Amino acid sequence: MKTITAKWAMLLAVVLLVSGVLAACGGSNQAADGKVTISFLHWRGEDTQAFQQIIADFEKQNPNIKVDMQTLTSDQYQTTAQAKLTDGSVGDVFASFPGAQFAALSKAGLFTDLSSESFVKNYNASLIDAGKQDGKQLALPYQLVYNQPIYNKAIFAKYNLTPPKDWDGFLKLCQTLKDNGIIPIAFAGGDIGPGQLMNTMVMNNEPSEDIFTKVEAGQAKLTDEFWVKTLSQFKELNDKGFFQPNSLGTKDAAAGALFIQGKAAMLASGSYQLTQNAKQNPELQQGLLAPITVAADQAKYEGVHTSTFMLAVNSRSKHPEEAKKFLAYLSQPEVAAQYANATGQNVTLNDVKYDSPELKIVQEWADKKTIFQPRFTILKAENQKAVTNSIQAVLGGATPEQAAQDAQAIIDQQVGK
Amino acid sequence: MINRKILWLFMLPGIVLYTGLFVYPALSGLFYSFTNWDGVSPSYDFVGISNYKESFDSIIFRKAFLNNIKFMIVVVVIQTIVSLVLALILAKNSKTSVFFRALYFFPAILSSVSVGLIWSFIYDPSIGLINTGLQHAGLEQLAKSWTGDAKIALYSIAFVQIWAHAGQMMIIFIAGLQAIPGELVEAARIDGATRLQVFRKITWPLLAPSAAIVISYTTIQSFKAFDLIFVMTDGGPNYATEILTTYIYHLAFSNYSFGLASAGSMIFLILLGILTFFQFRALRRDGATG
Repeated sequence: MKTITAKWAMLLAVVLLVSGVLAACGGSNQAADGKVTISFLHWRGEDTQAFQQIIADFEKQNPNIKVDMQTLTSDQYQTTAQAKLTDGSVGDVFASFPGAQFAALSKAGLFTDLSSESFVKNYNASLIDAGKQDGKQLALPYQLVYNQPIYNKAIFAKYNLTPPKDWDGFLKLCQTLKDNGIIPIAFAGGDIGPGQLMNTMVMNNEPSEDIFTKVEAGQAKLTDEFWVKTLSQFKELNDKGFFQPNSLGTKDAAAGALFIQGKAAMLASGSYQLTQNAKQNPELQQGLLAPITVAADQAKYEGVHTSTFMLAVNSRSKHPEEAKKFLAYLSQPEVAAQYANATGQNVTLNDVKYDSPELKIVQEWADKKTIFQPRFTILKAENQKAVTNSIQAVLGGATPEQAAQDAQAIIDQQVGK
Repeated sequence: MINRKILWLFMLPGIVLYTGLFVYPALSGLFYSFTNWDGVSPSYDFVGISNYKESFDSIIFRKAFLNNIKFMIVVVVIQTIVSLVLALILAKNSKTSVFFRALYFFPAILSSVSVGLIWSFIYDPSIGLINTGLQHAGLEQLAKSWTGDAKIALYSIAFVQIWAHAGQMMIIFIAGLQAIPGELVEAARIDGATRLQVFRKITWPLLAPSAAIVISYTTIQSFKAFDLIFVMTDGGPNYATEILTTYIYHLAFSNYSFGLASAGSMIFLILLGILTFFQFRALRRDGATG
């Protein structure tokens, strides 16, 4: 018995010793040769390869700086990044989601003010507002996404259809598609659908950038005309059979499959899906459109954009200058082009040259009048959920008035908190 | 006489782990439940019991609680019956029985996230196995939006929960059945007892401790169900499948309301405590805990 105890004690001692050594190794980010290691924390695991190349090039130009990239899944990032960033040990340069996460990190004082940095000028000023607070540029949205339906150009051409300019035209277009046995809109009602399509559906019903900010502040209500009308239009699309049957049980991947296979003419998602669709069906000719829910002369916006993957310098960083240097490098148009072409993601910088047809489709939208994604202006996730759930409620059979009232009741509980 | 100090020394790693991983987080949760901490900011204010009041007032909390109860009742009743029936059919140690036991137990070894993803595809109304199968059989009128219809979504997930765990509970029942002395059943049959009488008067009373374990475990498991719901519906459509654990998760990690989420967790802990207390009493009464 004594022998076993001694062995276990020895094992424990070894484990403790090894842990101690490893902990000691992890504690320092300044090597003896003066080389500084900065940490780059983000959630885009799929972009790792592209970033590795960019980092290698950066390190070649800056031999005294080493960039240690760490990625988390987007879910993990939402849940654990804050804690990691708070002690400053990781994420000298980090990415933030716009909306709720940006608000929380900003409240915690984790952003360094970048307003006076020269590289900010490389960005399209109209696309980086999401990273601003109180007039300060705290983060630089790097990726650009248009949150509006994708359409199949070949199907549209076959039936002589063009993206309509008003609501009547949109309904007529859907009816033509339906009459020809095509699902007009593949709608992932079970997950991302309501949160995506609501943006273009509401953008002209209440053409204001802060309508949901007002709703959260108690100055406007979901029972007001703009939202009841939006819900009524969702109901109209559903009742007329313009979504695939039982759309509330359909998830993102299944809705995508209907579009990729040519069974549906439109996919209610966003431009981020273009490259993936093209990979799965290289024959697909895609375009972006937005349902205009009002008469043509009343439409203020043509589409919805989101600038996300907001890059920032951690205010707790021990190496802020090196971190800024890396961010400045990422903010060069050539580097951004390298990133965009390698990942299939559009960027918010000016003068970026895109290679792929999908990226060019998105680029066409840069000159159009678009609004920042209204859903992301809802800062409380619980309120966001109440809003998207009201769409699910009408698709499930509730009246628009009742659904709006139920959602407003939840928001009322949040007002002032 | 064993030196008591050495005994404490041996217990020390366990105590340290338990304190660090269970006691400390639980006490932290209790502490934060009285604050308005958002999970990120270095500072927070004490808000007294207002988080508890807000939880009880919350429309979503009440919906989630009700869904929890519905989910638990459906899963406990059906899973217990199904696992008992399977156990009665497969209690004998024949090759066929062993094969089917393994088959029914198989879902229990899968990760619940995989189970959730697989069933999400099976339930898909357009390309899913169930609706396509029904269409091919000419029964398209039975095709439904299994997880999209607010009236049935919770029960569709309950079905998956039962599918995944009935085999596991069956094994507990089989162990209980095999512990019943054969001669008791034999004597009853010689005395002319029917199969139903044997079950009611001998099998079921002797199986009570196993049943108590199954019911107790299933109750806690279904009350804490999170992964399946998170993967399959994330509480939707329109809160139809929101339960307390998903609600608490959304509060903490999407809404950044850690204080409120901690209060929700404390309420949840108390509810589970009450449930466990009554179950232990039931177990004692049935003699399962000796």
